Amino acid sequence: MLVEQIVNGVVLGSMYALIAQGYTLVFGVLDKLNFAHGEVFMLGGFICLASIALGASLPIAILVTAIVSGLLGLLVEFVGFRKFRSADAHITAALSSFAIGLVIIDLSQKVWGAEPVALTLPGTLQTATISIAGLKMVVLRLAILAISLLLMLVLYLVVVKTSLGRRIRAVAESPTKAALFGINVTRVNQQVFFIASAMAALAGLALAVRTGYASTDVGFTFGLKALAIMAIGGMGDIRGALIGGLLIGVLEALAFQWGLGQLADVFVWLFMIAILLVRPAGLFGTLVSKEVRA
Amino acid sequence: MVRMGPMTETPVLAVENLQVSYGPINALRGCTLEVRAGETVAVVGANGAGKTTLLRAICNMLPWSGAIRLDGVPTDRSPTHKLARQGVIHLPENRGILTTQTVLENLQLAFDTYPSKRSFGAAVEEAFAHFPRLKERQAQPAGNLSGGEQQMLALARAIISTPKILLLDEPSLGLSPRMVREAYRILRGFKARGMAILLVEQNVHAALRFANRGYVLRQGAIVRQGEADVLAHDTELFNQYLGFT
Repeated sequence: MLVEQIVNGVVLGSMYALIAQGYTLVFGVLDKLNFAHGEVFMLGGFICLASIALGASLPIAILVTAIVSGLLGLLVEFVGFRKFRSADAHITAALSSFAIGLVIIDLSQKVWGAEPVALTLPGTLQTATISIAGLKMVVLRLAILAISLLLMLVLYLVVVKTSLGRRIRAVAESPTKAALFGINVTRVNQQVFFIASAMAALAGLALAVRTGYASTDVGFTFGLKALAIMAIGGMGDIRGALIGGLLIGVLEALAFQWGLGQLADVFVWLFMIAILLVRPAGLFGTLVSKEVRA
Repeated sequence: MVRMGPMTETPVLAVENLQVSYGPINALRGCTLEVRAGETVAVVGANGAGKTTLLRAICNMLPWSGAIRLDGVPTDRSPTHKLARQGVIHLPENRGILTTQTVLENLQLAFDTYPSKRSFGAAVEEAFAHFPRLKERQAQPAGNLSGGEQQMLALARAIISTPKILLLDEPSLGLSPRMVREAYRILRGFKARGMAILLVEQNVHAALRFANRGYVLRQGAIVRQGEADVLAHDTELFNQYLGFT
């Protein structure tokens, strides 16, 4: 069953990677960590659950989740980061975004309770399996993997090829220079927060649909792991976040395969430490990729 | 084409009683100057006289008081990116180019600054006609260019953005004497096309040879002004204000 476990690990890893993309995008443009990010991911499952409870079909629920969480991202940017852009406001921004995350958890628990809430879709979407080359696999997991990879490919192409991507990279290099190019730095920050939050919430939706329940305590564990993945991949590098996510997902799956499931988290953190000891800037990072800001 | 100012006496850029403080230090103490349509103006002064501060204040990159008018309209502390979109193109000391993006991407961003009727392809061909070297290196990250090539890219960016007024901070800084001459040759081309330019320079001779008019800045105040060729031959000025013997 090794191959099956690896496939499961890749699926899990693609969800980690989706979350990590958001951390790394925000870190790229603002040089700051968004500690509310994990809770936006968590909320994705509940927004989907609520939409479906209100009678939405899954595609509509996906769309609603992306848009509502994107708007929530704008709120996080405004409350947690707008006033704390200077380089000496790292701690302030970290604390305020952390506080926003706690508020999201508390409010979610008030609304949905502290226990996981079942998310059952009509039909056989959550259970259908398919046999590929003798391996029996859950169709939904493969769909999650395909959609996650597609989203990340689209993000990559947007950043590398489009006008929005050039503006994002300009702000990442230097907000001062970007403004002199006529770029509205605040607008770019908002766009990045919208994209990052929508992607994280879609990962949360995928997790809830796959496991069959939405839970208020996934934000912390997944959020923290996605942070580790960003560090492993290289801070601010979206390819690194993808590769790091897949590596960690497979590592965890292998831990379970070898009967060491209870130590899976230990492996993740030891792996991060080992990578950072060998490559302090992460797999794709350079540590000096940014200019000193004028 | 370069956009010309209106055919009136209203200057393209008017700065009145501009004051900037860094805490207790007064970096600019009431500067008044103007740049008229098609005019090139040099602000010269020693290191620390407040030249860079002047350009940064005009672009609202730091808090200031006084009045700044573009074509007679107060800028009212419009944010930097809006001023850029209104045609105030500022090439800072570090050249302001994006070193992590390619030459072509830099030009594309510059093109996006100001809405234009022509296509990006036409604009970029015009820029490459001035700077054939950039055409060869268009796919390179700007950070891989030599200092001289980076200055060329900054100036190409200025062409593409079609400035209402070009603010230049020390264009000769860090360049070899040959590249300084080359940069000023290009700038004379801009001047011939009627681009309004405000230039700050420590390289007094080069700046005054280039400009129509000049201002001398000393410890945050304008102490002299006049026709550039008159200032260029004013030995007292050089002895007193610019620290040359």
